[in-house]
Amino acid sequence: MKNIDIQAKEKALDLLRDKSDTKLITHMNACVRCGLCADSCMYYLTFKEAKYIPAAKVAAVSSLYRRYCTFAGKVAPSLVNAKELNEEYAAEMVDLLFGSCTVCGRCVKHCSIGVDIAYVVKKGREMLATMDMVPATLQATVDAAINTGNNMAIPVEEFTDTIKWLEGDLIDEMENPEARIPLDEYDKELFYTLNPREPKFFPLSISAMAKVFYAAKASWTLSTKYYDVTNYGFFNSNTAEATQIAKNLYDEVHKLRGKKLILGECGHGSRANRWEGPNYLKKSYDFETLTAVELIGDYIRKGTITLDKSLNNEVFTIHDPCNLVRNGGMFKEIRFVVNSAVENLVEMNPYGNDNYCCGGGGGMLAMSEYNEGRLKTGKIKADQILATGAKVVITPCHNCVDQLLQLNHTYKMGVKIVTIAEIVADAIVKNNKNKTI
Amino acid sequence: MAQFELDGKVFEVDGDGFLTTPEMWNEQVAISFAKSDGIEELSDKHWAVVKVIRKNFEEKGNAPMIRTICQETGLRLKEIYELFPLGPARGACRVAGLPKPDGCV
Ligand code: SF4
Ligand code: SF4
Repeated sequence: MKNIDIQAKEKALDLLRDKSDTKLITHMNACVRCGLCADSCMYYLTFKEAKYIPAAKVAAVSSLYRRYCTFAGKVAPSLVNAKELNEEYAAEMVDLLFGSCTVCGRCVKHCSIGVDIAYVVKKGREMLATMDMVPATLQATVDAAINTGNNMAIPVEEFTDTIKWLEGDLIDEMENPEARIPLDEYDKELFYTLNPREPKFFPLSISAMAKVFYAAKASWTLSTKYYDVTNYGFFNSNTAEATQIAKNLYDEVHKLRGKKLILGECGHGSRANRWEGPNYLKKSYDFETLTAVELIGDYIRKGTITLDKSLNNEVFTIHDPCNLVRNGGMFKEIRFVVNSAVENLVEMNPYGNDNYCCGGGGGMLAMSEYNEGRLKTGKIKADQILATGAKVVITPCHNCVDQLLQLNHTYKMGVKIVTIAEIVADAIVKNNKNKTI
Repeated sequence: MAQFELDGKVFEVDGDGFLTTPEMWNEQVAISFAKSDGIEELSDKHWAVVKVIRKNFEEKGNAPMIRTICQETGLRLKEIYELFPLGPARGACRVAGLPKPDGCV
């Protein structure tokens, strides 16, 4: 068990003592233990153990609050269920708040009084980060982003070679040297971003988005240094690290003088940059920030690109990424784009704002330590998908894509997993020649 | 950390099933990992991918870009996804004995 440094422990407790964080104090202490949130959580549904009930995750943090910040907790801790922050307790917190919660926020929507459970969980994570107790694999992903500019530590040269390679193929396919993937170009309308797993291992989505941009005759660029849309600092809850990662991207948009920051298909990355970014940097962004799905939606509405649904004629379903839908407001926009691009969409049950997390959220996918629980809880999603009878699952998040790929294999689902850019690219009708590209 | 034994040698894997000591990797490990992923037999194409990954890891300390794998093996992207249904990271890199790459994989 890891020893806790006394000073670090005090700093962690200061997060609870901070009276200005009224949201935390309210939400942490408001729970009335009605238990209604239990069945909303895939961890409780899968393992049926009381410790996985969302309210118990809140209690893991509020017990410390009572012990260190209330009179009763200081004098008679056992009477008010106040807990000592020691090595053992902190280790349990790690397993609970990092290892058994994807911060999906589904419980928040089901709580009888609206406790923001996910917010409290993230505060607990922040306490653990302060004590240097983030699971090693999650921390490695954050460190890679801080040290190299992207969470997979891809060197600039290898990134550039990959993009050039994709560009060559695109030019061949489009039979037009204008079908480019611009790098480090200044004053472009759109500064596009990627999940590093795209250039590293799954580049079809980059080519797909490049086709969409080509069809839309967009003015766009990628940066070769800071193109990473993810921010795992949002999940390890180390605010200084999250701020650094958000700032790197913000500064790069400025450096290349991009007009709009376009967030590639990534749930948490969209949330971390769009909603949390200004909080991290303590200033509002002076450029527009849009998700790829909104940009594509806009192209469709304006007729900038024309889609032929009959080109996507299998049965499709949508997996709603928690951070884009329940926590990001993209429910309708995703439906609009998908319904413009495919003929036959069958929804999961439940779907939209009530959808279950894929199981890989909250940094879970990066944490090998909790692989087993991730695949077990993911069975809920696998069953949901199978019940739709769909052959293709569309999801606008590369993190979800990876978890779904693994579920597909584990539960022998026999489906295909694609991003929105991929189905849109497949449905594009070339504007002038009415020829599909 | 779980352990398993193969030909009298004990290997350790992380929670995702990746070797924690990549230098202990051998062809038997590759065959055994592949089997657990549903690949009954490693074809020449599988081995070609594995060798490129191994070489990159030994020379540069990390997994190669998918571009490098494609260009050095002459295989098309889609073929690689078909060869390793779990993809280049959880599939091919694991079979090649690499530690799990960071990030959303
Ligand atoms: S945020 Fe999601 S995973 Fe975490 S406790 Fe709530 S329902 Fe469970
Ligand atoms: S539903 Fe809300 S109030 Fe009820 S136990 Fe859960 S967190 Fe507490």
